[in-house]
Amino acid sequence: MIYTIYHKTEFRYQSMVTYSHNMARLKPRETGYQKVLDFSLEIDAFPFEKREFLNMFGNVCTHIVIKNSHLSLSVTGRSRVEIFPEIIDAHIANIKANSITYKAAKERLKSFVAADMQAKQFMFDSELIAPATEEMKAYALESFKDERDLFEAANEFMGRIYHDFEFLSGFSDVTTPVSEIFKAKKGVCQDFAQLAISALRGIGLPCKYVSGYIETVPAEGEKKLFGTDASHAWFSLYIPNAGWIEFDPTNNVIPKHQHILLGYGRDYADIAPLKGVVFSSGGSRLSVMVDVREEELQEQSQEQSFFGFKSQTQTQS
Amino acid sequence: MLKASHDEMFDENKNIKKHWQEIADSLESSGFDELESKQNEIDWFLKENDVTYNVYENLDAKVNRSWSLDPIPFVISSQEWDETAIGLKQRAKLLNLILKDLYSERKLIKENIIPAEVIFAHKGFATEAFDFGSKENFQLYFYAADMARGPNGKMWVVNDRAQAPSGLGYALENRLTMNAISKGLYPETPRKRLFHFFEDFRNLFQNLSSEQESVSVLLTPGPYNETYFEHAFLSSYLNLTLAQGDDLLVKNDALWLKSLGGLKKVQTLLRRVDDRYCDPLELNDSSRLGVSGLLDAARVGNVNLINPIGSAILENIGLNPFMEKACEYLLGEKLILPQIATWWCGQEKALKFVLKNLETLIVKNIDRTVTVEAFFCKKMREEELENLREKIIKNPYQYVAQEEINFSTIPFYADKKIEPRNASIRAFSIKVGDDYSVMNGGLVRVSATKDSLLVSSQKGGTSKDLWILGKDDLEMCILSSFKYSKYVDTSIENLSTLKAENLFWLGRYLARSITTTRFVLQIVKKLASFYRFDMQSTKESQEILHTALTHLTMTYPGFLSLKEHSSEAIMDEILSVIKDTSRPGTLTYTLFMLLNANLNLKDILAMESWKLHDKMKNEWFEFLNSEKKSNIYIAGKLENTLIYLMAYKELVQESIFKEQGLLLYEIGSKIEDTILLLSLCRSLMTLDIDKSMEYDILDSLLHTMESFNAYRAHYKSSLMLENVVEFVVLNRQFPKSIIHICKELIDDFKILPKSKEIVSDYEEPIYKAYKILESMEISKVLRLKEDEVVFFEFDRLLAELSQLYIDCSNEFTKTYFSHNDE
Repeated sequence: MIYTIYHKTEFRYQSMVTYSHNMARLKPRETGYQKVLDFSLEIDAFPFEKREFLNMFGNVCTHIVIKNSHLSLSVTGRSRVEIFPEIIDAHIANIKANSITYKAAKERLKSFVAADMQAKQFMFDSELIAPATEEMKAYALESFKDERDLFEAANEFMGRIYHDFEFLSGFSDVTTPVSEIFKAKKGVCQDFAQLAISALRGIGLPCKYVSGYIETVPAEGEKKLFGTDASHAWFSLYIPNAGWIEFDPTNNVIPKHQHILLGYGRDYADIAPLKGVVFSSGGSRLSVMVDVREEELQEQSQEQSFFGFKSQTQTQS
Repeated sequence: MLKASHDEMFDENKNIKKHWQEIADSLESSGFDELESKQNEIDWFLKENDVTYNVYENLDAKVNRSWSLDPIPFVISSQEWDETAIGLKQRAKLLNLILKDLYSERKLIKENIIPAEVIFAHKGFATEAFDFGSKENFQLYFYAADMARGPNGKMWVVNDRAQAPSGLGYALENRLTMNAISKGLYPETPRKRLFHFFEDFRNLFQNLSSEQESVSVLLTPGPYNETYFEHAFLSSYLNLTLAQGDDLLVKNDALWLKSLGGLKKVQTLLRRVDDRYCDPLELNDSSRLGVSGLLDAARVGNVNLINPIGSAILENIGLNPFMEKACEYLLGEKLILPQIATWWCGQEKALKFVLKNLETLIVKNIDRTVTVEAFFCKKMREEELENLREKIIKNPYQYVAQEEINFSTIPFYADKKIEPRNASIRAFSIKVGDDYSVMNGGLVRVSATKDSLLVSSQKGGTSKDLWILGKDDLEMCILSSFKYSKYVDTSIENLSTLKAENLFWLGRYLARSITTTRFVLQIVKKLASFYRFDMQSTKESQEILHTALTHLTMTYPGFLSLKEHSSEAIMDEILSVIKDTSRPGTLTYTLFMLLNANLNLKDILAMESWKLHDKMKNEWFEFLNSEKKSNIYIAGKLENTLIYLMAYKELVQESIFKEQGLLLYEIGSKIEDTILLLSLCRSLMTLDIDKSMEYDILDSLLHTMESFNAYRAHYKSSLMLENVVEFVVLNRQFPKSIIHICKELIDDFKILPKSKEIVSDYEEPIYKAYKILESMEISKVLRLKEDEVVFFEFDRLLAELSQLYIDCSNEFTKTYFSHNDE
């Protein structure tokens, strides 16, 4: 399956910015089941310099310096990504087969196993994900009984978040603490991912933040408008002896062919699509437009796809 | 039970140790009176050199404390120090290898030498510096160790300092001060010099900054940092440019120093800013102390950082239990310097031990980059211990426990007594080739009270000089005839852009403050005498003046849309234009901007300007908080402020030369004066008004320019519109006239470093303005057509002139402060 992704992030500044440094992370990463066929990055302020590098989590980062005065900056990533569902299925089957109990996982993580070393960097609180409260840990432990299979437990845990929490945009932003989300029992995908990550780290399991996209299909008979998608977030759990496995608590699914991976990190801060530092007296406003579609579908509806532009403020579904 | 501690000077039998004999004899023969007088001498030297260590009591109150130094040195025999130095070199090498490994292959983790959690649970581990470790310039160039003498009589390492070690400047200052007093006090005692170490340090910069024209910089958080004294001192001693984050810029993947003459490449940066604050783009994004993009410049390899970002991971007591193993693994050697026995709670066995023996241990957070936590369990109540146990169990990776050690005491002079105090030595090493050079000296910090084991400069306490006894191998080394001065390079070419910009704005805001104060004062005074002549014309002229105030301060809509014209409403609006803190253009707002510019220029303005600034600020705040609304009270306050502003102006003009930064200040002030005067001219002199009102208005204008007497002297006549226009706009002899200032600006621009043969973008508008002024004829511009009440031609020309000055300011700012095109 081939997806084309359009992801535009724009800053509008209140007053003239003389110079700015920006970090873009808009290129989807390659994995065993995902291949990037094409990628381009468009920058609309001139002149600029850009430089690409791989960060510790394996994500492609682009450092962009805008070298002249500007009032706005938009950075657009366009990618074509191929997903191999059969490889994902095989991976999930493999994880299930090798999964161990929660108790065995705890024991193993306490000892030295070379294969687990990389995963251990995802065991601790990070900039945006505070340590879990006791209530959050207790909530997670309802699924994670000592003798329970870790995969099964995580799958159930994902389902419980899906049922116990209400999807509501506008209630939270990237800085809303997970404890607040846990109390309010509502939020968006980012909140559910971060909440799950905090709780799982709290009970001793390595867990990472996944940022990406999900294909949305319009209701029957309706045409999909361009730019109405949003970026998406979910989490990935490390099961010792088996490996990393992703869960999407917002949709209560294990990501397969509908999820396109952008990157991993300890939390959103590690993988924010565009971050900028400017010297200016005023504030700035951020807007994001995302479009994700499967290639065959796009060819049929190409003529209609370029009207009805709609800008969205940054929310993640 | 703790073993009785050692004393540095006395052995178990209370006999003086051999290497202390000379010092002891000297102290004996000089006596307390002499010691007291030496202490006074030391205090005087330190004060004279302005040696301070700023302690923050709370956010607002900063105590600029004088540094203190004890007249009795800490003495170590050269034989012992040589052995210690071997251990320090080994530890520096080891930490360097650990650093390089953690940021490259991470074999230490993969091969179970250091537990992954000790690294990943510590916020000092910079994921952003991933893969930097194999770079040639990713080295622990500068390392400091805190040491104390342990129960076995050896020097033990207590702490490692790696990201931006402090104290070297204080150690140097202590030595210079001790040199000055020890001729009389310890004439017989030779000590090793610090010279070699500083030579090594200078060479390091020379080797690292190989490119011609490149500069080495010391990055300081700024004058508010507790150790700012030493940043200024060291940069001057090591020939580094002292800079704050805003002085630097990253572009073309390299680091640049901004100066009025242009950008200069920075190859080597000695930073005194902690890791996480070095780059708001990739690290802590709220930091104003760093440079955006710095980390990426390091990633490309274009800047040498002393020390590399990521070094904070070494300031990690959690490493202690694994140092022995790491040393054998990386160096194939046994660890030379002893450490305090340390248990990392992340391991089950250690955790059990710690929980069981908690009351005899000291518990510390491994990560001082987040918070400094230390629990002296011996002194804790059972309930507190229980809480601590819970804390450790919840987060075992974050804690270590250490054995409580009685370190040695040292004689300390206080109030005509000599008493034993605890002390720790900060020793400094610098990388030289594949080895390290250890300074033959160090900074000794002494606990604040007799019974305190805590040694910290933040908590008070005092210092000592560390003497390594003996003569240097080479006699040639003379501690260069260096004299520290707080010299800041302000030659136009090298003036830092940050300072230049602040000087420019200082000029603009000071001019704006003065003119605004004077004009408001005129209005308030006229209001006060309003009822003396209760005439319609007075009322109308006042309305013109009030509108002019709104235009002058740009506090729109202000008087332009004042609904009610009662005297209360008028006074409220005037008070708002004076006092409102959040409304741009008000006098208070402008004064704040002025104070802000002043703040950033502290080191080049005269000390008195600082005091004046404080006084003015305090009185202004008092005025802001006062409810009094009487005209006389307000006028009095404005008059006071005006006096401060004038005195301040005089001080600014006196403390710097024009060819230095003052030029920037003058350009700013001339542009501002002209823009304000043009605004007043448009508001007050483009209307054909009744003669009875004219006097009122012209009088206000001239008083606002403080030029009433000059006018009278010049024209020997009463106020007439034609004459006043001629005087303030076109009179070449009158130094405050627009045309006179315009000519001066043209000349000023020629001295600037980017001045060229052709007219630059910022000069062009001023030449145009000059042309307009030259060809302006009063009789023509003040001619009215029938039925007209406005001198439209005059108004049009004034508006055009205003725009030209604004263009000039914008272009000037772009050319000199933005560095966009370089």
